[in-house]
Amino acid sequence: MEAKEQKRHQRKQSGPKAERKKSRKQRAPGAEPDEDERRRNPRAFAVQSAVRMAKTFHRAQDLKTKKHHIPLVDRTPLEPPPVVVVVVGPPRVGKSTIIRCLIKNFTRQKLGDICGPVTIVSGKKRRLTFIECGNDINTMIDLAKVADLVLMLIDASFGFEMETFEFLNILQVHGFPRIMGVLTHLDSFKNNKTLRKTKKRLKHRFWTEVYQGAKLFYLSGMVHGEYQAQEVKNLGRFISVMKFRPLVWQTSHPYVVADRMEDLTDPETLRVDPKCDRTVSLYGYLRGTYLKNKGQVHIPGVGDFAVADVSFLPDPCPLPEEQKKRALNQKERLLYAPMAGVGGVVYDKDAVYIDLVSSHVDQPQMRPTAELVQSLIGTHATLDAKLAASKVSLFSGAAAMTPGEQQAPLENRVWDPVTQRERRKAVFSDDEEEGDGDESYEGDEEGQSEQGDDEEGLQGGDEEEKSSGARESKVGEARRGQDEEEKAPRVKRQRLERVEAKPPVEMPAFADSEDDLEMSGDDGEQSEEDEREGAEGGTADSGHCSEEEVDDDDEDEAEDDNEEKQDGKEEEDDEEDDDYDDDEDSDMETEVTAPVNISKPVKAKVSVLSEEAEEDDGDAGELGNESTGALRWKEGLAQKASEAFLRQQQAAPNLRKLVYGSVIEEQNSPSDEDADEIGGLFRVSRPEKSRSRRVDAMDCSRFVPDSPHDWDQEEVLNSIRDCFVTGKWEESKDAATLLKEDEELYGDFEDLETGEVHHGKPAKEEDSEEEVMVKEDAEEEQKKKRLEKKRRLKERFDSEYDDGDATYFDDLKEEMQKQAELNRAEFENIDDEARVQYEGFRPGMYIRMEIPGLPCEFVNNFDPHYPIILGGLGASEGNVAVSPLQGLKKHRWHQRILKTRDPLILSLGWRRFQSIPLYHIEDHNGRHRLLKYTPQHMHCGATIWGPITPQGTGFLAVQSVSGTQAGFRIAATGVILDLDKSVTIVKKLKLIGYPYKIFKNTAFIKGMFNTMLEVAKFEGASVRTVSGIRGQIKKALRTPSGAYRATFEDRILMSDIVLLRSWCPVSVPQLYNPVTSLLQPVGQKDSWSGMRTLGQLKRDLGLRNKPNQDSLYKPVVRTKRHFNPLHIPKQLQKALPFKSKPKQDQKKGKTPRHLQRPAVIREPHERKVAALLTALSTVHNYKTKKAKAEQHAKHKEFLKQKEREEMEKLKRQKEARKKMYRIMGQKEKKRERSSLKGSSKDD
Amino acid sequence: MASQGLTYEGCNFFRQRLVLSTLSGKWVKIKNIRSKDDSPGLQDFEASFIRLMDKITNGTRIEINQTGTVLYYQPGLLFGGQVEHECNPQRSIGYYLEALLMLAPFMKKPLRAVLRGVTNDQKDPSVDTLKVTSIPLMKSFGIDGEGLELKIMKRGMPPGGGGEVLFTCPVRRTIRPVQLTDPGKIKRIRGTAYSVRVSPQIANRIVDSARSILNKFIPDIYIYTDHMKGGNAGKSPGFGLALVAESTNGMFLSAELASNPQGQGSPMLPEDLGCNCAKLLLEEVYRGGCVDSTNQSLALLYMTLGQQDVSKLLLGPLSPYTREFLRHIRDFFQIMFKIEVQKQEDESRRGGDKVLMTCMGAGYANISKTLK
Repeated sequence: MEAKEQKRHQRKQSGPKAERKKSRKQRAPGAEPDEDERRRNPRAFAVQSAVRMAKTFHRAQDLKTKKHHIPLVDRTPLEPPPVVVVVVGPPRVGKSTIIRCLIKNFTRQKLGDICGPVTIVSGKKRRLTFIECGNDINTMIDLAKVADLVLMLIDASFGFEMETFEFLNILQVHGFPRIMGVLTHLDSFKNNKTLRKTKKRLKHRFWTEVYQGAKLFYLSGMVHGEYQAQEVKNLGRFISVMKFRPLVWQTSHPYVVADRMEDLTDPETLRVDPKCDRTVSLYGYLRGTYLKNKGQVHIPGVGDFAVADVSFLPDPCPLPEEQKKRALNQKERLLYAPMAGVGGVVYDKDAVYIDLVSSHVDQPQMRPTAELVQSLIGTHATLDAKLAASKVSLFSGAAAMTPGEQQAPLENRVWDPVTQRERRKAVFSDDEEEGDGDESYEGDEEGQSEQGDDEEGLQGGDEEEKSSGARESKVGEARRGQDEEEKAPRVKRQRLERVEAKPPVEMPAFADSEDDLEMSGDDGEQSEEDEREGAEGGTADSGHCSEEEVDDDDEDEAEDDNEEKQDGKEEEDDEEDDDYDDDEDSDMETEVTAPVNISKPVKAKVSVLSEEAEEDDGDAGELGNESTGALRWKEGLAQKASEAFLRQQQAAPNLRKLVYGSVIEEQNSPSDEDADEIGGLFRVSRPEKSRSRRVDAMDCSRFVPDSPHDWDQEEVLNSIRDCFVTGKWEESKDAATLLKEDEELYGDFEDLETGEVHHGKPAKEEDSEEEVMVKEDAEEEQKKKRLEKKRRLKERFDSEYDDGDATYFDDLKEEMQKQAELNRAEFENIDDEARVQYEGFRPGMYIRMEIPGLPCEFVNNFDPHYPIILGGLGASEGNVAVSPLQGLKKHRWHQRILKTRDPLILSLGWRRFQSIPLYHIEDHNGRHRLLKYTPQHMHCGATIWGPITPQGTGFLAVQSVSGTQAGFRIAATGVILDLDKSVTIVKKLKLIGYPYKIFKNTAFIKGMFNTMLEVAKFEGASVRTVSGIRGQIKKALRTPSGAYRATFEDRILMSDIVLLRSWCPVSVPQLYNPVTSLLQPVGQKDSWSGMRTLGQLKRDLGLRNKPNQDSLYKPVVRTKRHFNPLHIPKQLQKALPFKSKPKQDQKKGKTPRHLQRPAVIREPHERKVAALLTALSTVHNYKTKKAKAEQHAKHKEFLKQKEREEMEKLKRQKEARKKMYRIMGQKEKKRERSSLKGSSKDD
Repeated sequence: MASQGLTYEGCNFFRQRLVLSTLSGKWVKIKNIRSKDDSPGLQDFEASFIRLMDKITNGTRIEINQTGTVLYYQPGLLFGGQVEHECNPQRSIGYYLEALLMLAPFMKKPLRAVLRGVTNDQKDPSVDTLKVTSIPLMKSFGIDGEGLELKIMKRGMPPGGGGEVLFTCPVRRTIRPVQLTDPGKIKRIRGTAYSVRVSPQIANRIVDSARSILNKFIPDIYIYTDHMKGGNAGKSPGFGLALVAESTNGMFLSAELASNPQGQGSPMLPEDLGCNCAKLLLEEVYRGGCVDSTNQSLALLYMTLGQQDVSKLLLGPLSPYTREFLRHIRDFFQIMFKIEVQKQEDESRRGGDKVLMTCMGAGYANISKTLK
């Protein structure tokens, strides 16, 4: 990006700002303001409160310490592996497009289909590997573990989708790599305001998920099916300067993101049994940490495998050589993506692979490699029979991988119409309420239209390319065809042909490597060396026991034999090769020459190649300039190696071989064991002396000398004189020199008490004055030396003295620094062959891992769109143990709680596997109590039967990995805290018994146990009744069996139930079921389903639980309670006071007829009178009521008036009082004034 | 899930195999254990050792065939905690303790082991030697602090035994890398002359004779006499001497000698024993290095199990036991040491040739320890 021409800053000439600046400038020359203030006003800066000062100091220190991180040893490799950039997002969001754009931006090459990892050189010190992450949760989980940088694509026209959040959660669990959000589809907004609003909303949501201020990129629009070049450039720049944080899991485990896969299985076995286990070699950059050979790896989606062999290959995409220039030239902008069919010729340990560009032949220009292979393919059909006869497989699996077969199933999957997919929009309450359905509909529409656009864009792009076809590089042209093809099969399998099956120029095994090299050296040297070895064995190695010497000799002999054998073999091989090559050549001549013209040079090339190979082999045998196959491609490395080797050889006289070499010999020995047979049937079994001495000898670590020195002789005694402090010291550490140094340094001092000045060595200087004239040079040198020494000492003193506050932290940091330097320097000079033996394969190396015993589905159903990760396992991580996953918590977005013993798919370490967890919670007394379900908002523990994984590793759980489901898929997250092989989970068990005999506080209980023995085990246990009476088990009773005597704190009832509360341990179900998603057929990789939960099973089988009849709810029938009458003894009744005596009188019954009063019936006249009276009283009542109301109103009015008057009165009084006070005040003032006057007069 | 494993033959280096198997998690199968011997199969002391391994681990699977000639050992997780073990008196406690020293820092709970049996004998490194050499060695690897202690409660000599040793060790998650390349010069010699169920005067006689030889080199010699009585003296009589030379850089070289067990061999003179032991120490000094010959394998193991950093260690000539140990380390951890011989100049008078061992740690972390 060119720096924009910016307006110059204009300084203000007038106004307050200018004034302020002027005044500051004027003040400046005097003294610095703060210092001035301190001097001017020292009190303000004095210590006011010691406590507060202490507090401020503490706070400052706290803040300072808070900033510290635990210093770690810097273990980053010098040449780091490419950075893994994972591009994530829901389908149709533009993942492939952005990768394509970035690749084009960095390498100026076009890549059609992003198929597998794509590695490019992006700068002088950085390489990038782009991987596209599909929508499958398996892929997301795997890639989250290896990602260094995540480009999170978000469709702005649609908003966040659930996948995005799921992926963020996965990242959080497995360490949080750098994340960059990229908003696409911004051109679909017509309204500028909505665009702005959407941007802001999405940005803030993104920030809450990642961190405040996380980088979010906006890709505004597409131009010819690509993003705008400037925006892509900016994005690329951000990527190439980004720094990465070391993640714990990644830095402690080696891993490889495989970018190439070759099936090495013997074609014959393949033919016999197409379903046999495969031997596969996988290639990729080693990342993380050092990888040891012969380790164990986990391939997520496949399983655990032992690595048969690891070897390093020359870097296919190397960083540019050290050059002093700013940008890369075109040659250095490399692109390597074998799975996508880019990378040209790829080398292997024992073969060379040439990439076929594509199947279309009518290309105007062919690349030379393609030509070559094309010609070879022409010969393929006719060579077949001969090849089969000669047992040399020229094209391994060439016939098996016809493009049509591969492409057919893939086509369906990729071309899923957009509308069929469910887009799982993530809606948040804080989001603005928008028409959900509307939008999705809109989105769909847009999607459709976009699709159309896309196609148009593609075509447009093609056209453009055609127009600018001349500029495009060959590769670009080659790609174009693919671009055109892309519409039909987006997914394409690379076609690699194995051209040459050269005899493997093996990376020699370690012990042999020396031999080879030795052999490669002059013979004379070899013999000399042998002699030297022999001599050493005799004299210098006196410390080693004699047995080993013998071994050594034997070994040498054996080695010689081996060498001879090897030589012979090699020669034979060479001969065979020759034959083979000749055959081939002649065949090809016969076949090729006639039809095609181009094939002539090709043939020549092949033959040259083979000749070269021969020569090489010959060289290796005779001259030994180039010793190994690997070295051929790195010029100068061979020489370096041989130099390093020579250096090493001088240093270590085969002690290494003594230790590590003899194992090989030991392995060989049983084969040539002489077997004494009698009559061909029996064998004499006699204890073999030599072997049994080694094998069954006493296991003792003491090292008693076989031939001890004679410590009575003086010279023997003298040989260790200097091991003691009394002996002679080294020059540098000698007491005399040290003293002298001190004197030089601290010689001059002044006695402060007396004022006397002592000089270190005045005499010497006087003496030397004359000599100075004579030997100036010597003196000069001496002086320089002294100065140097002084400087060093002063430096040391300074560092010790000045850094008085050099803390523990600083020391630690320095120590780490030193260690890092040592780590770098220690193995630097050794050649790679030997170095990998010592420290393992370094991260950053391009390695090839050979893995035997892979299931055939891995190869047959191979789909490069799904990443293959080889995760190295640490010591004992391959074992299974019960591991309690403490701090598991159901994810708050997951809608359902989890049930104990329901299978769950966990992602833990490298692995994804299904297991059966038991949830538990810790009680206050440390007991782990089993839970039936996970708590809704709380942490709980879980225990699973799973692989051993180091503590502190995060994990996440999903219930199913197949297909898409509604809702948030991540069920729970947590971290491993502990590993254990014994389980401590218990669940509550209540044993119930019934009393059958009750004495006072003792009762006999039955029904709780079955035998006396069982009771005996529980003697002394506490029991309680349902009513809450506590008791203890005392002793078992003979009859009935299982009954016992118990005592209680109170008498219990026969109706009581006795409970014994106990805890019984729960065993963890031993299910470990790795998710083998990579073995699924192509197109169904996301449909792995494991063990079903109980609920699913029931649902699927249509089963319903038969509930226990006793547990069902029934109408409550309550019987009427009948109480007996209270009976009080007569004596007691007598004694009671009257009040308490039960009253004998019965309830008053009905009044007898004769006592009832008769009803009165009025006469008509009386009735009239009564009516009149009633009417009159009614009228009267009304009148009085009315009068009362009137009176009330009047009184109210009166009260109001009275209040008013009162107010007025108060007002008046207030006014009067005010007036009075004013007058009084004036008077007072007058008086005061007069008195003051009087006093002033007095003065 | 098939874990990896290794197969060996014969009973030699039995402890190494089990210890490394436990640490690496790989199973080990040992075949043909004394299969041609008159008394085939595992012996009592080995059985006792297996029992001890079982006690300190959790979930270990051990299968032994009927004759005891084949052993299958699937390691569990190191648990630690309180362990009491009755060691078989055929071998001394040192035999068991050496393995415990290797395993103790990687337990789940700090180990507190009480071992009973023979404390000093002629075959194995005695408890006294391990106390003065191995414990400081462990400290240099960062295994220090309160809990690290080796205490001799009672002494027991062969054949009866009856000694008791308390070993406590704290747990660590990782081990520090070390660079021990300069052994320094020997500044003092200390030692313990012990005697049980014999005249207390014997210890003094040993001290005198040993001093007579060592005094030629250095004046700072102090040999403690340790005479245990009554209940603390074990069941059999015996005496012996353990010497240790400390260098200015805090390195320890040791030598020791014990009397013949009661009823076996001819009785020894204490003077001879003292002299011979002093000469053994001189031999050890001649070999030199930062670690003495008995502790070589312990130091190398800790280097292997360190973080992924370079460790360096200067040793005297490698003992056969150590050489086999190096091979085993390669088998179990795929770690090879860079072995360089440091030749001594003729006039240097500092003993024999030294070996500089360099390795890159395996990045081992204690997987048993609970995360708090």
